[in-house]
Amino acid sequence: MKRVTKVVSSDSRVGVYICHCGGNISDHVDVNAVCEKISNLDGVRTAKTNSFMCSDPGQEMIIEDLRSGEIDRVVVASCAPSLHEATFRNALSRAGVNPYLYEHANIREQVSWVHHGEAATLKAERLIAAAVAKARLLKPLDPIRIEAKRHATIIGGGIAGLKAAKDLSSRGIEVVLIEKSPFLGGWTAMLDTLAPTGEKAADLVSSLAREVLEHPLVTIHSCSQVTGFEGSVGSFRLEVQKGPSDSGVPPVKDRGIFIPFRGYLPEEDEQPCKAFVVETGVIVIATGFKPYHPKNGEYGFAEFEEVVTLPRFIRMLAERDAGEGPLSIGGKEIKNIAMIHCVGSRHIPGIHEEDESGKLNEHCSRNCCSATLHAARLVRDRFPGTHVFEFYRDIRTYGRFQEDLYSKASESNVIFLRFEPESPPVVSRNPRADGSSLKVAVNDTLTFGERVEVPADLVVLSVGMQPSDVSDLIEMMKLPVGADGFLQEIHPKLRPVELSVAGIVLAGTCQAPMDTGEASAAGSAAAVKASAILAKGYVELDPFIAEVDLEKCRGNGECVKACLRQGALYLKDFDLHGEKVRKAQVDPVLCTGCGACVAVCPENAVDIRGWTISQYEAMVEAIARES
Amino acid sequence: MLATQKAGKILILATESCAYPGANAVGQAHSSYPENVFILRTRAPVLFPERFYIECFEKGISGIIIMSCGVECPYHGAYEVLARRIDRVFEMMRKRGLDPTRLRLTAICTVCTRAFLKEVQQMNEIVTKLGPPAAERTDTPPAEAS
Repeated sequence: MKRVTKVVSSDSRVGVYICHCGGNISDHVDVNAVCEKISNLDGVRTAKTNSFMCSDPGQEMIIEDLRSGEIDRVVVASCAPSLHEATFRNALSRAGVNPYLYEHANIREQVSWVHHGEAATLKAERLIAAAVAKARLLKPLDPIRIEAKRHATIIGGGIAGLKAAKDLSSRGIEVVLIEKSPFLGGWTAMLDTLAPTGEKAADLVSSLAREVLEHPLVTIHSCSQVTGFEGSVGSFRLEVQKGPSDSGVPPVKDRGIFIPFRGYLPEEDEQPCKAFVVETGVIVIATGFKPYHPKNGEYGFAEFEEVVTLPRFIRMLAERDAGEGPLSIGGKEIKNIAMIHCVGSRHIPGIHEEDESGKLNEHCSRNCCSATLHAARLVRDRFPGTHVFEFYRDIRTYGRFQEDLYSKASESNVIFLRFEPESPPVVSRNPRADGSSLKVAVNDTLTFGERVEVPADLVVLSVGMQPSDVSDLIEMMKLPVGADGFLQEIHPKLRPVELSVAGIVLAGTCQAPMDTGEASAAGSAAAVKASAILAKGYVELDPFIAEVDLEKCRGNGECVKACLRQGALYLKDFDLHGEKVRKAQVDPVLCTGCGACVAVCPENAVDIRGWTISQYEAMVEAIARES
Repeated sequence: MLATQKAGKILILATESCAYPGANAVGQAHSSYPENVFILRTRAPVLFPERFYIECFEKGISGIIIMSCGVECPYHGAYEVLARRIDRVFEMMRKRGLDPTRLRLTAICTVCTRAFLKEVQQMNEIVTKLGPPAAERTDTPPAEAS
């Protein structure tokens, strides 16, 4: 760890802390050289480096320097501010220093991960110099405190949404659950038994749905969709449109009923179609996923009626008449089943075909291996005369007790064949008169690439999980989306259910592929985070709003005309030394801090707290300066 | 490497809701771009008055890309106001003898990595071709429109 400390005569005493990020930064940026240079800047009292500034020792280093009075403001140069700006502001608070006397320099995502060698070092130095220039002009700020409505709205009534509703209501928080379909239970309700425990999905969904429906603090609106959104954490306003039920079953009363492979149908609202408003403090997004729909011709899908997806096969298996005899579907005996893994998952650019929007599903869907093995074992247990062949790239039974599924499938004489992504199995008509209508050919890497042909009466495609289409919510609420198309949390480990939009949290498979247990856990995690936000009865927002310098303001009203939020800026009469003067005033609750007013003031009397024009000017000067 | 470092500096004003996370996504993908690019995070670039851009060029910045959220700006109406302001800045640049291609207003989303790289590449070509802004400024700029 390098430390450079010097005595300066500046009013502001900046401490600069440069992170190695375990080599992520220091492999490309000479952090010691940067530290040396930065320590010579005006206003910098100390410059230090650490392997991980976000670690406890890293934060303690800052706290110690602040408490000793050596420094009075901080710059940390590390990863993107979305990851650790809040971490370091909290460190300042713990040291008893105003958390807004902090500036962040992003030298990982915007330097070491995109530049290399001397150029990376020079750029890191410039960015940190710019951060120091801003830090010297920072002023202490107080967060804006607003009342938080003790109310949560959950969008999506699948397993994660139901679990979040149960947990939030059990903490005494009023909950509204908005589900677009007539049913509760989501895709869990489309399953029969759950891997690896064998628990009935119907029992799980029914039990959870009843608990939620019977709770006096929960209101469920099925067949409903959010059509309007405004407000901020603690005080959101949602416009909701309820449509007619298209469940296809007669209305139910009392506690509702579970309909296999549809979901739990709650009692219907007496007013079937209506528009209404929900005022709420937090929003839980639990909009789930959609299974991959194979392209026409992909492994014979839509070309041969004997090719089905795994969800379809699970339902076919469950709906087959109970009783003795071989497995038959549609009157035809199934002697051989070929199950193909990784359909619609783990796409590789250049090998797999992009969809119509140019996207590939490069992620692993994580559940399909276990679900496929579970289905294979069910077939072998119930119908020993049916052979099962699994065509896989890798077996990823990652969860607790899930490796047993693979062992037991092997013990049940399920036959495994392994393929490389560039040489996938080929499904075609079987010309032989051996009774199976299809054949699946593959270069089996388990037998060193031997070409193997397997007769198949049924081909099951183990389809992956894709993000469901929530583009309307994404647009309305400005939700961040990851490169994989799923909604993106702030940080996968440190802030795993929070979004960058304060007061909106994630639950379940809208975030990433998860199994039922994980989605349920995610629902609970979202409930904990949502209730923590509401616990104090108020929330504190960043104080980055407009501020009027009354000395400079001449009351010309240009800022009021330019304001994009009606009422956020207004003119007020003051009595100054016996003279009546008119000055601009800011309503801190209404002001969003966009800055439209700043640019138009001829007196430069308006600024955004924490993001002032003079701070930007200082940063530009630091960047423009030659190293 | 050093040749590109000596190319004029490009300033990107990137919105914290869209373009700044988009630039981070470029980093997460480890996609390189010229190191003369410096990104400043903004809440909304509608904040900056016309003079700010001119002064940036006066300080030696060779090119500016405003990477906004476009019409999806979380501050309703801000993008339209910004677009009108940038038109006025173009006019001021012309009057001062500054090539208006040095300034560009664009929209970059949180996952627009290809668009980000394309914008940066294009601006880099422009500033490399034009050289430093001081070289093309007239000595006595005409009075600017307010």
